[in-house]
Amino acid sequence: MKRPQQPRWGERPPDRLEQRIVVARDGCVTARSGKVEYGQGIRTGFAHIVAEELNLPMTRVRIELGETASVPWDMGTFGSMSTAVDGASLRNAAAFARKQLVARAGDRLQVAADALAVRDGSVFAPDGRSLSFVELTAEEPLAGEVPDDAAGAVRRPPQDDRPERLEGLAIVTGAARYPADVRIAGMLYGHVLRPPSHRAALHALDTSVAETISGVVSLVRDGDFVGVVAERNDQAMAAVAALDARWVSHAAADGEPMDLALRRDRGVKTAFAGAAWRVSARYHMPHIAHAPIGPSAAVADVGDGRAEVYAATQRPFGLRDELAELLGIIPDRIAVHPQMMGGMYGRGNMNDAAIEAARLSRAVKRPVLVQWTREEEFRSGPDRPTLDADVEAALSGEGTIVGWRYRGRTNPHSYGWGGGSPQVAEMTAGRNMVPPYELGRMEALLRVEPGLIATGSFRSLGAALHVFAIESFMDEVAAAASADTIAFRLKHIVDPRLARVVETVRAMSGWRASTVAGRGRGVACTIYHGTYVAEVAEVSVGDGGRVRLERVWCAVDAGRLAHPDGARNQIEGGVQQAASWTLLEELPIENGEVIAATWRDYPIARFTDAPRSIDVAFTGEPDVPSTGIGEPGSVPTAAAIANAAFAATGVRRRELPLNRSPIGRRNATA
Amino acid sequence: MRTRLLINGRERAMELREGTSLLVALREDLGLTATRYGCGHGVCGACFVLVDGVPTAACVTAADQVDGKSIVTVEGLANGDELHPVQRAFLDEDAMQCGYCTGGMMISAVALLAREPHPSEDDVRKALDAHLCRCGVYGRAIRAILKAAR
Repeated sequence: MKRPQQPRWGERPPDRLEQRIVVARDGCVTARSGKVEYGQGIRTGFAHIVAEELNLPMTRVRIELGETASVPWDMGTFGSMSTAVDGASLRNAAAFARKQLVARAGDRLQVAADALAVRDGSVFAPDGRSLSFVELTAEEPLAGEVPDDAAGAVRRPPQDDRPERLEGLAIVTGAARYPADVRIAGMLYGHVLRPPSHRAALHALDTSVAETISGVVSLVRDGDFVGVVAERNDQAMAAVAALDARWVSHAAADGEPMDLALRRDRGVKTAFAGAAWRVSARYHMPHIAHAPIGPSAAVADVGDGRAEVYAATQRPFGLRDELAELLGIIPDRIAVHPQMMGGMYGRGNMNDAAIEAARLSRAVKRPVLVQWTREEEFRSGPDRPTLDADVEAALSGEGTIVGWRYRGRTNPHSYGWGGGSPQVAEMTAGRNMVPPYELGRMEALLRVEPGLIATGSFRSLGAALHVFAIESFMDEVAAAASADTIAFRLKHIVDPRLARVVETVRAMSGWRASTVAGRGRGVACTIYHGTYVAEVAEVSVGDGGRVRLERVWCAVDAGRLAHPDGARNQIEGGVQQAASWTLLEELPIENGEVIAATWRDYPIARFTDAPRSIDVAFTGEPDVPSTGIGEPGSVPTAAAIANAAFAATGVRRRELPLNRSPIGRRNATA
Repeated sequence: MRTRLLINGRERAMELREGTSLLVALREDLGLTATRYGCGHGVCGACFVLVDGVPTAACVTAADQVDGKSIVTVEGLANGDELHPVQRAFLDEDAMQCGYCTGGMMISAVALLAREPHPSEDDVRKALDAHLCRCGVYGRAIRAILKAAR
């Protein structure tokens, strides 16, 4: 089946108001976006934006996200772009709706539009007469192409800064529904046979024992895809365990390496040849796991020429189109219903559980729930690529960087590597590889090659990796130049917004050189998709060299904030998650197979590891357009922590994690 | 296997197969899905319930072991429309992101405050250490629990 024509990466069809904003009969306004909520708080942020433009209480705004049958097409929820891009679209659409409502009220009340006031879901004339949004749209719904500049510049003061989340009540009462909580009449449970590694092919399969397991409804085989559907979850799991499969490893690589030059100035060689001195270092970051607390799950109900899928997906339209191709059903007859997600930071781009559920449902003609186990999630989920980076700087006699060379090696940061274009690789694997500094003549080269294990998108893509190498190295060069590491950065910064977050975090943290043995502070900064972040980390280093993160200060400029406390929560969470990557995480791999099966094999940060405080300050101006907040907080954290560990000990750590431990040691007694 | 479970103050008599875990009984047999599957080996905390007031991993507890004991799940924390102070505090501090681990954290927090009405920050950290969170809301959860204690 031919895929429907879709806009390419970054392109969007013009917005239609009727797809965005609808006045419901109960007087509430429904606003629609193709983005999805997975804990980053965009539902709340979007509701703030629409409520603000229509001067409505938040309680009368409903936000519908990612439902493929009703929301405008969207490429996916990643790259920290929801508020920046779709928030701006919703603001425009709501402002356009307001203009239409005011114009209609003006006509009916015979009052000039600029004399009318909008509040509480009605348009008021100066004499007190009013028409509600419902009355104004009863005969003719809001419609039309939304002009790009409908909202104009926003100059209102920022929102109330208080904690709030529209899903909050459902979360604390347990009513929130994740894919595994979906119950449909006649629903069965499915499990899928997993190869030992992503390069294994099925050689032989004996199903005789599995078929005798009670409750088994069907064994489904379609090439190397083998699954079992049963009345109960544990029966399906037991049947898969009873399958006798023999695998052969195929050596074929998953595509050729790709060499990218993200920056190649003339005169790099000359800059190095004429340098007063040079510094170089090599950094390594291992594979880490997505490790969502909720393992992947999905429910699919596939019937004749139609399908409904309940999934935790960051790409509902991508999933719809993949299913259309797989099932031979036209996309309009497939409805993807995004559910709550259990901590998906790129993992939700993969859609594997949903596709498995659809294959099994098609075979048994009943709804099927596929719930991955923890072991499947560790062993068969895609993981974060590794990075090896060689960085070299040429310095002038005054201690200024005049030449910069960066050579990185990583794995694909997006799915479907076969179709990966250099442009996509640059935007994903190469993200943030060019430093945000003036460093004279610069060269930034990257080789992207398939890893031993399957890799894919992970929060901030290449950025967290490259920024670890770049910001660790800036610290090393500053130390080599006997300069204060913050002053050294400021000397090479030309962007005033970046300088401001660095100066802000210096002030917030009361920046000073380490004076207490075993304690140290480190700094790192970056610009991620237009958001400026600078962080200072304070660590203590105990006996045996174990690093503990004590405090973090973070200054962020993301322009106007749709919901300040939601933004703060995202930054705090980004720092905490990245601290876990940095201090603890490394996926154990043997012979191309991930051998982690439980949390004991893959420790992540716990309550007792959490820093004493994470202070966040926002320096953005309210009239500057919003930029993203979901990923930036996690990007500079690794370098800030590693630099702090150096300040505490005088020993430079260039490989992560900092607290490497043999498998199971940490949690052996848990 | 005839089992009698006392869940959120209500007696539920059911026929369960040998070896059914409390988690499966809650989720698959009773449709109480607020108790979530996270790891199946009792170390992530997503499936915690109170068994006679003690926070317990439902995934590694056999349903017949808790026959006749009082079980409280996240669905049973509120008193009708009135939220438990711990639920209120988690909402007030927005101590959540994806929300998957939140229920289990609240269960352990309720048990902590029942035995220690005025815990220190370190008491909270230790009492909640069985709960993993990928989104990184530990700091907010600590704040929420200390607030609920006030």
